Amino acid sequence: MNRFITLLKTLLINNLGISAIQAKARKNKLEYLKVLGLGVAIAAGVAPSLWLYSKILIQGYDLLAPLGQQGAILILGIVMVSSMIFFFGIFYVINFFYFAGDAQNLLALPLSGWQVLGARFSVVIAYEYLTELPFILPPLLVFGIKSGASLTYWLYALIGFLLIPLLPLSLATIPTVIVMRFANLGRRKDLFKILGGLMVIALAIGYQFLFQKSGINAMDPAFLQNLLTDQYGLVNLISRVFPSTKYLGLALISANKVAGLINLLIFAALSLLAVALAWLVGDKLYFKGLVGSSETTARRKMLTSSDYERFGKGSPALLSYCMKEIRLLFRVPPYFMNCVLTNLLVPVILIIPFLLQSHNKQEALPWEDLISQPVGQTILMVVIVGAVIFLAGSNAITATSLSREGKEFFISKYIPLSYKQQVQAKLLSGYLLGIIGAVLLLIGAIILMPLKIALIGMILAVSLVAIVPIIEAGLLIDIFRPKLDWDNEQKAVKQNLNVVFSILFSILLGGAVLYIVIRFIHSPILAATFMLSCFTVAAVVFYYLLMTRGIEQYRKLEG
Amino acid sequence: MIEIIGVSKSYNSGTVKAVDNVNLTIRNGEIFGFLGPNGAGKTTLIKMITGILNADEGTIKINGKDIRKNPIEAKMQFGFVPDDPNIFARLTGLEYLNFMADVYMVPPETRLDLMQTLLKRFEMAAAAGDLIQSYSHGMKQKIVVIGALLHNPPVWILDEPMTGLDPRSSFDLKEMMREHADTGKTVFFSTHVLDVAEKVCDRVAIINKGKVILGGSMQEIHEHLRENQSLENLFLELTENE
Repeated sequence: MNRFITLLKTLLINNLGISAIQAKARKNKLEYLKVLGLGVAIAAGVAPSLWLYSKILIQGYDLLAPLGQQGAILILGIVMVSSMIFFFGIFYVINFFYFAGDAQNLLALPLSGWQVLGARFSVVIAYEYLTELPFILPPLLVFGIKSGASLTYWLYALIGFLLIPLLPLSLATIPTVIVMRFANLGRRKDLFKILGGLMVIALAIGYQFLFQKSGINAMDPAFLQNLLTDQYGLVNLISRVFPSTKYLGLALISANKVAGLINLLIFAALSLLAVALAWLVGDKLYFKGLVGSSETTARRKMLTSSDYERFGKGSPALLSYCMKEIRLLFRVPPYFMNCVLTNLLVPVILIIPFLLQSHNKQEALPWEDLISQPVGQTILMVVIVGAVIFLAGSNAITATSLSREGKEFFISKYIPLSYKQQVQAKLLSGYLLGIIGAVLLLIGAIILMPLKIALIGMILAVSLVAIVPIIEAGLLIDIFRPKLDWDNEQKAVKQNLNVVFSILFSILLGGAVLYIVIRFIHSPILAATFMLSCFTVAAVVFYYLLMTRGIEQYRKLEG
Repeated sequence: MIEIIGVSKSYNSGTVKAVDNVNLTIRNGEIFGFLGPNGAGKTTLIKMITGILNADEGTIKINGKDIRKNPIEAKMQFGFVPDDPNIFARLTGLEYLNFMADVYMVPPETRLDLMQTLLKRFEMAAAAGDLIQSYSHGMKQKIVVIGALLHNPPVWILDEPMTGLDPRSSFDLKEMMREHADTGKTVFFSTHVLDVAEKVCDRVAIINKGKVILGGSMQEIHEHLRENQSLENLFLELTENE
């Protein structure tokens, strides 16, 4: 147990970067202020969204209170957070349990499987507390304050907050550990790791939709009546996505009754049971999935003259640099998972539920009426372009493109390729992958909706221009604060605040332009023209900034 | 030729002077050895010569091209082997070499021949199709050396190039350095191994705490040595008494 605690402490300090901040602060006391300032900046960035979220929750509470169903806002928050932790948990577990550089080193220490897995699991839980806070705090506060809740409620809320991530993260851990045990075979281990990760995500998506679809027919009058008259109708419906969350919801709603305590105990028991199961599976399989996972085998085969000639023609330096970026994005598992896959997977995840639900042909899709109107077409255009922008902001390709070089950054400094060309090559790699994401999203939309060719053309044109300022801004952010000092690749993309800044920027720019369209423009042609103009201007401005301030800063950076 | 004129560099807002007013000229046709204990400033100076770090003061010219004012032209003049060969682990050897050839604009007519000759000379032909990740430390060092020589650079800058090389490759590299210098070109390399410096170099400089404390031809250095004193003893004496 002592070893477990020691390991946990070390991992926490190392991963939260506490020692690094302390070391910097020893040299310069302003470092603490910098960390604090960063925290304030992020808080200020998410504040408007939190305010909007709370406002919706308050309205929801007032709307549902006459029906006695106000508890639904709590359960909605808990379900949302649980689903989020589950999905992000899979990425965290794959990255942090298997791709982390120190994962291998710990194998040489006299520690057992559960100790290492348990310690890593606990570190991820610490991250999850930070992640869940903005999503779960508002519903807990709104319900507590509006219902004039007792002390027991607040106590249960605190316990609930601490318990919430345990079950979904355990559910993410178990299949990952099992799949990785068997992915750790054969010659192409990197590839298998990536495929293993994909498989777990596919399983997760399957699981989610299985529950979502189980016996819900929203058009059935009896179901609707039950939904509205039964006090826990909505709670029951929403919690189907994550059944265990119902117990926490009921515990909070009836905090003053014995039933509340019983429900809390059931929730706690389920959560702890899941953790025990995950650690048990980990004890048996974790090391087996890790031993030798960094081995690479090689063919050591003499190359034929055609192998040489395949490369022998040469390419322009800019293109070669761009190809190097893309090759590494696809070949380094954490880069593939966090940069490429999100780009390809998010469109798929968004489309699947609609595809699964649209099997009933007689039932008209809710938007079919809408898209026959110009206003509807404009809204649709805004929604798709918004999704494309958000995707470009969150795929992290340009926002981590210097960071990903890490200690190899010195190469970019000594090769005879101008900084301007390097920046252009990085933009190009980001843009190429951005286009794939945008086109996939659009294909999804075309599958779901009978869109007119003209509308598709307009959406495509706007999307292709809209991603340009987003990837430019991402690169600019990364040039000004690259995270070059990391010891394993996942830290460059996973624990990099530049991605958060890039997402915030995409929300701000995209949000501003799209808001104006929704508010004032009702014709698709006008909307497309307006958006094209706005994003073109933004693209030109950011390109100019990159080529002046960005290059100047690139020159100052040292490898 | 490399000209280093009054170059200084400090860290932590000027509190730690890593390189202090260094003046060196490495002439054409010579192998110049750069010696010093760990943390003496060798790598910092090499990084400034190659443009990886910016000098606080002073001028560095490679074959007359200023690394600050004409960085691309200056960078075309040299081939550089860094002290850590762990680069681009997820590229194959061949992909890495082609990347370097593209960046240094090696024409298609010459690159294949040169690549094959160098791969053969360093016994890397069988490994070139595999990921660099699968190479041993020495093999990584070799692929980096090959990558640095592909554009046939007039100036070689090598940071601890022998580290990790097997005796055969180390011998070959030393021989290549000699051949290169004998054609009137320049080799500048840093090393910990005094034996290598003694046998290979035409001139050496010893750096300690950022300052060049001794420099000259091997003959001049030997004049500094008291009877029966080895270069190793002199080195220890010079660097410890500081």
